[in-house]
Amino acid sequence: MQTTAARAQPALQGAPSRTPGVRQGPLAGVQVADFCWMGVGACATRLLADFGATVIRIEDRNRLDMPRRLPIYKGEARTYGEEDANPDPNKGGLFNNYNRNKLGVTINMRSPKGRALADRLIASSSVVTENFAPGVMERWGLTYERLQELSPEVIYARMSGFGHSGPHAEHRSYGPIVQAVCGLSYISGLPGEEPSGWGLSYMDNEAAFFNASALLTAIYHRNITGQGAEIDVSAVEAGINLLGPILLDVAVNGRSTRDGTFPTGNRLEHPDAAPHGVYPCTGEDRWIAIAVFDDAEWRALVSVMGNPAWAAEARFDTQAGRFANQDALDALVGAWTADKDRHQLMHELQAAGVAAGAVQTAEDTNDHDPQIASRGVFFEMDHPVIGEARFEGTPIQFSRTVQENWRSGPLLGEDNAHVFKGLLGLSEDEYEELVAEGAI
Amino acid sequence: MMAQPARGQSPQALAGLRVVEVANDIGGEFAGLLLAQMGAEVVKLEPPEGSPTRRVGPFAKGREGPDTSLNFWFYNSNKRSVTADLAEPEGMAALAGLLADADIFVSTLQPAALKALGLDLHALSAAHPKLIVLSVTPFGLTGPWADYKSSDLVALAAGGPLNSCGYDDHSIPPIRPGGNQAHHTATSFAQIGVMLALLERQQTGRGQVLDVSMHESCAVNVELANPYWFYPRVNVQRQTCRHAQPSPTQSALFRCADGRYVYFALILAEPKAWNALVNWMDSKGMAVQLTDPAYSDVAYRQAHFHEVQELVECFFLIQDSHEAYHDGQAAGLPIGVLNAPEDLFDDEHLKARGFFVDVQHEGVGPVTYPGAIYRFSSFGEVERTPAPKLGEHTQEVLGKGARATEEVAP
Repeated sequence: MQTTAARAQPALQGAPSRTPGVRQGPLAGVQVADFCWMGVGACATRLLADFGATVIRIEDRNRLDMPRRLPIYKGEARTYGEEDANPDPNKGGLFNNYNRNKLGVTINMRSPKGRALADRLIASSSVVTENFAPGVMERWGLTYERLQELSPEVIYARMSGFGHSGPHAEHRSYGPIVQAVCGLSYISGLPGEEPSGWGLSYMDNEAAFFNASALLTAIYHRNITGQGAEIDVSAVEAGINLLGPILLDVAVNGRSTRDGTFPTGNRLEHPDAAPHGVYPCTGEDRWIAIAVFDDAEWRALVSVMGNPAWAAEARFDTQAGRFANQDALDALVGAWTADKDRHQLMHELQAAGVAAGAVQTAEDTNDHDPQIASRGVFFEMDHPVIGEARFEGTPIQFSRTVQENWRSGPLLGEDNAHVFKGLLGLSEDEYEELVAEGAI
Repeated sequence: MMAQPARGQSPQALAGLRVVEVANDIGGEFAGLLLAQMGAEVVKLEPPEGSPTRRVGPFAKGREGPDTSLNFWFYNSNKRSVTADLAEPEGMAALAGLLADADIFVSTLQPAALKALGLDLHALSAAHPKLIVLSVTPFGLTGPWADYKSSDLVALAAGGPLNSCGYDDHSIPPIRPGGNQAHHTATSFAQIGVMLALLERQQTGRGQVLDVSMHESCAVNVELANPYWFYPRVNVQRQTCRHAQPSPTQSALFRCADGRYVYFALILAEPKAWNALVNWMDSKGMAVQLTDPAYSDVAYRQAHFHEVQELVECFFLIQDSHEAYHDGQAAGLPIGVLNAPEDLFDDEHLKARGFFVDVQHEGVGPVTYPGAIYRFSSFGEVERTPAPKLGEHTQEVLGKGARATEEVAP
């Protein structure tokens, strides 16, 4: 039986109510007091919010979350270093991207009444999440021991760059620092050149995904045993787990990666694939990746190339020969691809059984990729300030589980009344007093 | 401070769960590994000649063979290996027997391969209502590219991350970040999917099919490239070892006296960071004119950006990279040293956290592996054990009737 994917509602959801209702999904009923900010934490708790958890983002009006400030706006192309001095906190696209399906409240944690309110919120939640520098939550008295008093068998997720113990626990960190320290930057680049590393905070995302998995694992475990947990995820340690087999080559074989031959750019060391590279196509800065792993794929490539005489040279007869002669091979393949369209060539090669992929931009994957369009991983929701906005969905088609996209990212403090009066039961007077005193 | 990892404590979160893995690539194998490390019993079903990942180097001590691939070791700890030929009726019967009391089935077979074997994942799900079928494939089980071939490089290219990675010089093609990250990205979502499906099953008693696409996993793992397209509708441009951006920014990679590099994004607008940098440079007698009061003005600093950048370059050129990393961090600056894999084993922080673990490999001795990705105070990972030899558990798992696997030459 072929089941249709139950993932998301890919189309724009009209103008749904922004009032929170009963959530659906496997995490329905789980309430999260979410102290996360920036990228890692917000991206991790987004997964919980997508699948039914009531995630309550706690923000500070006096210290706006960086994604609210970064100038990723409709109609203005700026690098993220060029932020406004006084940004509209509800206009930032990156915040919207990371915080869909969550509630948003503001609490001033420097005020005693604000901290007391945070305690009440924690007491009504069964999960607490944070990704501050180690020590910040402790300064507010929010240790795991204290959280257990407030909410027995709570799950407390601590997400940091270096983990919550050890001499470097308090090191400053963000994606590129993590990628440098864990080795991922070093293992990326051309031999003998400076590392090319990463052009994105890959480890912000990956640490977020692992933190989400850890939270789901702890919730699953608590459902069975009744036991809560404190979770400590170090992004550096997660990154080391992603180095791959080179780490064992060093550990087992004493391989030196500093001998000038490593890393190998787009070529593989193992297996002896060739050609294996990224080749120019027509258009400005347009490329195609081609990966040939065996004789059958090589013959297919040669056939698509129209059987040029050079491809029959003895040095290219075997996989080992092609691997040993990659400089010459890459130049010849690159000369052949240079006047081809990257997408057309990709489809011709794939039709012949050769692994090939156009190097695609976000524009390509979003607007011109029939595979992604057919599966609907991107979707749109409306936002009161930004207007219609696009979101990255979850690249999993579930035959049963539903991702309920009920609302775009919260405006600053949008759900204060709903959460403090509705969920926590504050009276109108108590609520107005907190507002007047700047505690929320 | 958090306690040391609760390694080996019982019960592990996934203890008692049975996983059958038919995976011929790293993405599926890594997904199986993450489940095994949380206590699930993973049976890896391989063809008689072994998983193709066993034939990929590097090899332990350079000795090629199905049981010495470090590529295989890395992703297959804590599993049992059973050989069966799915092209033969008895192989398929073995799979059916294993699935009869499995909780999770991990498959990396693309639609054409499934069809050739007569396997239908949705029919399987219907026949085993509690089973969670996790499919991790290059492009997913549906769509016009469903049977296209892929590889780590091809997936990073088509999915988008590759477009952000490489050098300032755009006559050089985009450069693949190392370590199989397209597969790892697919695994990250596979793991999330399985945990969500397990939670769903706790409530409803029902399993389901999860169709994870490596292509889509990469397409949502490009960080700022997507919001830059969603909002201002610009494409980012790759830059050497720093964020791809709509327009060029200053280099953040600094070469040190020992020939190694540190990553440091010079931010002029923050007074605290600026003062920390100048004080640090001054302590080494290298601040030169930066202590001049004129530089306390942000606008002045920005107007003299290239001068500042050059002085910082010179400053790092006379520092040892690790010293610069520790001194800079001590000064409160976000700075990271570009460690090579071999640097990590002696890292004082990782040592203090007891991160790396030694695993005894027969004939090789202790082998150092990375430790847990996540640490839980109330339960832990299972102790890491070596990847199984080809067919090591065929008899044990399939029973006396099973054929012993012959040694297959590489």
